[in-house]
Amino acid sequence: MDQAAILDHQFRIAAYVVTWVIQFGYAALLFLKWQAQKKKLKP
Amino acid sequence: MKRLAIGVYLLVTVALLGWAYYQAIYVAPNDAMQGEIFRIFYYHVPNAMLCFLFFSLNLVGSVWFLAAAERKKSGGAFKFSLKGLIVPPIIALVVLVIIGMIVRATVDPAVGNYISDSGLGLALLWVAVYLILRSLRLSADQQMQVADALAVAAAEVGVVFATVVLITGPIWGRRAWGIWWTWDARLTTTLVLWLIYTSYLLLRRFAAGPQMQTLAAVLGIFGALDVPIVYMSNRWWRTQHPAPVFGGAQGSGMDSSMLPAFFWNLAAWFAWGLLILALRYHVEREHQRIVAAEAEAALNA
Repeated sequence: MDQAAILDHQFRIAAYVVTWVIQFGYAALLFLKWQAQKKKLKP
Repeated sequence: MKRLAIGVYLLVTVALLGWAYYQAIYVAPNDAMQGEIFRIFYYHVPNAMLCFLFFSLNLVGSVWFLAAAERKKSGGAFKFSLKGLIVPPIIALVVLVIIGMIVRATVDPAVGNYISDSGLGLALLWVAVYLILRSLRLSADQQMQVADALAVAAAEVGVVFATVVLITGPIWGRRAWGIWWTWDARLTTTLVLWLIYTSYLLLRRFAAGPQMQTLAAVLGIFGALDVPIVYMSNRWWRTQHPAPVFGGAQGSGMDSSMLPAFFWNLAAWFAWGLLILALRYHVEREHQRIVAAEAEAALNA
């Protein structure tokens, strides 16, 4: 692989990883918030 | 049973995301001009399309909230009729199709088509919301709570998708154009859209009092005005951002060998978006219950 192809590969991976971190990170935060609420709602 | 259904949906969504990733990386060919970097398209574009969808849902929730609040103020009960189901969508459809035809013939065919299509979308949305409301038979108060929860959930999920778009776009741009950012029409209007809905969420987070939900609903309606502007921006102003791949001028579109990867990713992120929207909506409804219970406890103390 030439230098340009290596850079393309790294940038593509960066874009995919950023997407996963944002989407799954947000889902994880929501899940934690939901669990905390469930505890609060329990009498 | 409900837990099982949620578990199955989660599994299907994760499987879809995995399959879509496989399609994007191992099945779709490299782009002839851009090589591997073009594969960012399979995440960037579906996330952009879905952020439009979620901001449109926020619009539905905001309008619904204000309508329910108005009805509550006037003390009138919700009445459902066949006339109410059919007449408003037909009027919206006819008016927008006529405007679309005039614009298509005199100004711009793409804008004309967009206006006509919006008429159909709006009519279908009206019928769907009307039927849901009829089946739920909610009071004005309950409708306000449901509409507000839908609006805030849709805005937050929309901001998440828009954030992905605003980060993956510059990563792609750095390799394709040699720059991270430029004040091009599509990029700027998308950033403005993100700022509007981020301010919507900040308003909801930090404002207090009974008017907060109403103010947020009004901001949501004005924020939604930016959605069609973002959609049309790279049709109206041809600057740095590429012309639209779908629904663009003649000759637009992508090679058929790349289409399955795109549609699998669109389906997977749509399924994922619905999942987090449902979870966010549920969290908001629980929050409303906690606030109501605390208010009642304070009154009884």
